[in-house]
Amino acid sequence: MMSERILVTGMGIISGLGYGKQATLDALCSKHSGIGKMKYLQTIHNYYPVSEVPMSDAEMMDSLGISSQTIITRTPLLGIMALKEAFIEAHLDKKRPRRIAFINGTTVGGMEKSEQYYPDFQNTEAYIAAHDCGTSCEAIAEYFDGFDMITTISTACSSAANAIILGANLLKTGRVDVAIVGGTECLSKFHLNGFSTLMILDKEACKPFDAKRVGLNLGEGAAYLVLEKEQHAKQRGVQPICMLSGYANTCDAYHQTASSPDGQGAYLAMHNALENAHLHPHDIDYINAHGTGTQNNDLSEGTAIMRVFNDNIPPVSSTKSFTGHTTSAAGSVESIISILALLHNFIPANLNFNNPMPELSFCPVKDTLTKKMQHVLTNSFGFGGNDSACIFSKID
Amino acid sequence: MNIYIQAAAQISAQEPLSHAWFQHPLPLSERYVRSVEPDYKEYINPMEARRMGKILKRALATSLNVVRKTGINQPDAIITGTGLGCIENTEKFLTAMVRDKEMYLQPTYFMQSTHNTISSQIALHLKCNKYNTTYAQRGISFESSLLDAYMQFELEKIRTALVAGHDEMTPDYFVLLDKINYWKKGEVNEAILRKSDSVGAISGEASACFMLENKKSNLSVCELKGIDILYNPNQKRIKDALEELLGKHNLCIENIDVVMTGINGDKDNDAVYNELERNLFPSIPLAWYKHLVGESFTASGLAMFISAMALQEQVLPASYLYNGSSAIQGLKNILIYNHFQNKEHSFILLSSC
Repeated sequence: MMSERILVTGMGIISGLGYGKQATLDALCSKHSGIGKMKYLQTIHNYYPVSEVPMSDAEMMDSLGISSQTIITRTPLLGIMALKEAFIEAHLDKKRPRRIAFINGTTVGGMEKSEQYYPDFQNTEAYIAAHDCGTSCEAIAEYFDGFDMITTISTACSSAANAIILGANLLKTGRVDVAIVGGTECLSKFHLNGFSTLMILDKEACKPFDAKRVGLNLGEGAAYLVLEKEQHAKQRGVQPICMLSGYANTCDAYHQTASSPDGQGAYLAMHNALENAHLHPHDIDYINAHGTGTQNNDLSEGTAIMRVFNDNIPPVSSTKSFTGHTTSAAGSVESIISILALLHNFIPANLNFNNPMPELSFCPVKDTLTKKMQHVLTNSFGFGGNDSACIFSKID
Repeated sequence: MNIYIQAAAQISAQEPLSHAWFQHPLPLSERYVRSVEPDYKEYINPMEARRMGKILKRALATSLNVVRKTGINQPDAIITGTGLGCIENTEKFLTAMVRDKEMYLQPTYFMQSTHNTISSQIALHLKCNKYNTTYAQRGISFESSLLDAYMQFELEKIRTALVAGHDEMTPDYFVLLDKINYWKKGEVNEAILRKSDSVGAISGEASACFMLENKKSNLSVCELKGIDILYNPNQKRIKDALEELLGKHNLCIENIDVVMTGINGDKDNDAVYNELERNLFPSIPLAWYKHLVGESFTASGLAMFISAMALQEQVLPASYLYNGSSAIQGLKNILIYNHFQNKEHSFILLSSC
């Protein structure tokens, strides 16, 4: 029995490419990367390029009408910005369905304040309670009000993709009417230093899938998708954008921070997502790769792509060359980028690519391509081998 | 669809990796109670254990314990709920970063600082490539994990699941949360907690791990009938959700033998349960457990452990009763009700099998 289709009826995004889908689309089409010199994050390692959201906390609070006295950290602020756009598109600002679930992915939570006030939080005690991941979710939920259920997924860099999966399951079991899913993560010294000690940060703009790739650039951002069943969207009279046709979550079970040489977790994630979507590898028109630009990820993911798609590898690009690695938000940031590509029939470029990897049978798309598209697949992999893949399709 | 708890294991302030204490739990008399550590040798190679934080050792030991009891070494899903994740490693990295002004840092603590380290380390040990995820939503972290598994059973995506709640409380984090009145000041004992006339609870730690399966066997401890989580519900929403959950199994509120509450001695926390008792459960005995294991983001995992034991042994000893003084015999349905700061609310319904 085919279960009822899960549709996307709203999307909102903020990243180094700017605020909103239009800014994101413009940057992608004009090959204008968000990666550049650090402006807001205060760190001694300011020589690393990053993709920062071009707004200060104060500017975001001001634009959202949040009082400057409010205790709130950057992660939920980015989340509120992004969710606001999705909310309007899905008409949730008008009449609210009764049961809305909000599933948020984050890992650093309020860390960006904790690391400033640590260890004593002298005169900043209010930020102690804002440290954990769940508080960021609550802060976003409080701004919009009226959610029936909220929760936070924290699987590092695949958090937002796993939020999409949970949301779909909540809809399929009929527990909620609408699921708002995605993730948010701001830059923090904690992450920057962490990735720096692992020696996987590039001091120049990252070069995903390039033989001479050195590492990743960190980014920040937030993105949310509004999901609901077809019948429900119809009843509400909201225009569907596309459908979530398949998804899978697997575990590489190889190493805490490294991916396996044969990309088993990534292979299974793509393979199982195709199966879940009742699609064949040749149906996929574009792969938005996890493509961090690290030696390890791109080889492992590339190998997995070859194993799944054999001789029929569709165009592949990593848009982390635009947004940087937005970590916990990457799954939804890149889902929205993939959906924009799907709707506008183009393949975003994989910037900074020059040298093919000898181990791989394919090269990423170097320049923006026009292509009629039906199905796109996006990968999100995290520390600990938490690998997920989602497939979005046009509604026929 | 039916889901059974095939095995359960816990590490807490009570005797670890055992349920022998269930009939005679030890009372707590400190405001900061760490878990009793078991001998890990049976589960983790000592060389490896030395490099692991407390929470990882507890998670691995409880997981391997239920894996061994059931022989299910490739669960279809590994799902962990943890409010704070690997906070000990997070603090170590953060402390060094702040102290040494972002210089001379080593990656080890960062690598094992993310919340999902727990689920992924379990997968690594079991070499399990299947569904793997982690929830971190304060007081409903464990319930979110259980809900995820429950839905996948419902959708027939899985047949087995390893579901757990794990939280540690480091001395530094205890002090921080103490500054914002999470913990009782001064002396604590059961009588003081019962009064619910001051702020704060006993700080505890919780590791509770369960192997769930869709088939009943002679191992089955009890049945997991339902799970629901709500955000900012009013009394009517709570009542509706509870009736819906019970209704799916042709049950009504009167069929609940006991409500296992999250009463912890904090006046604001306990007031919510008292109001619920008046409105929803006026004639049903209330039980509590946080006076025996302390409060933590995933304390409700221990509530599920205790309730499962009560259903298996068909008795809830007097130590757990909040109102009423003699043990309850012959149990069919236990409702675990928990809330966190009156924002996140959750129900878990367990039945004997």
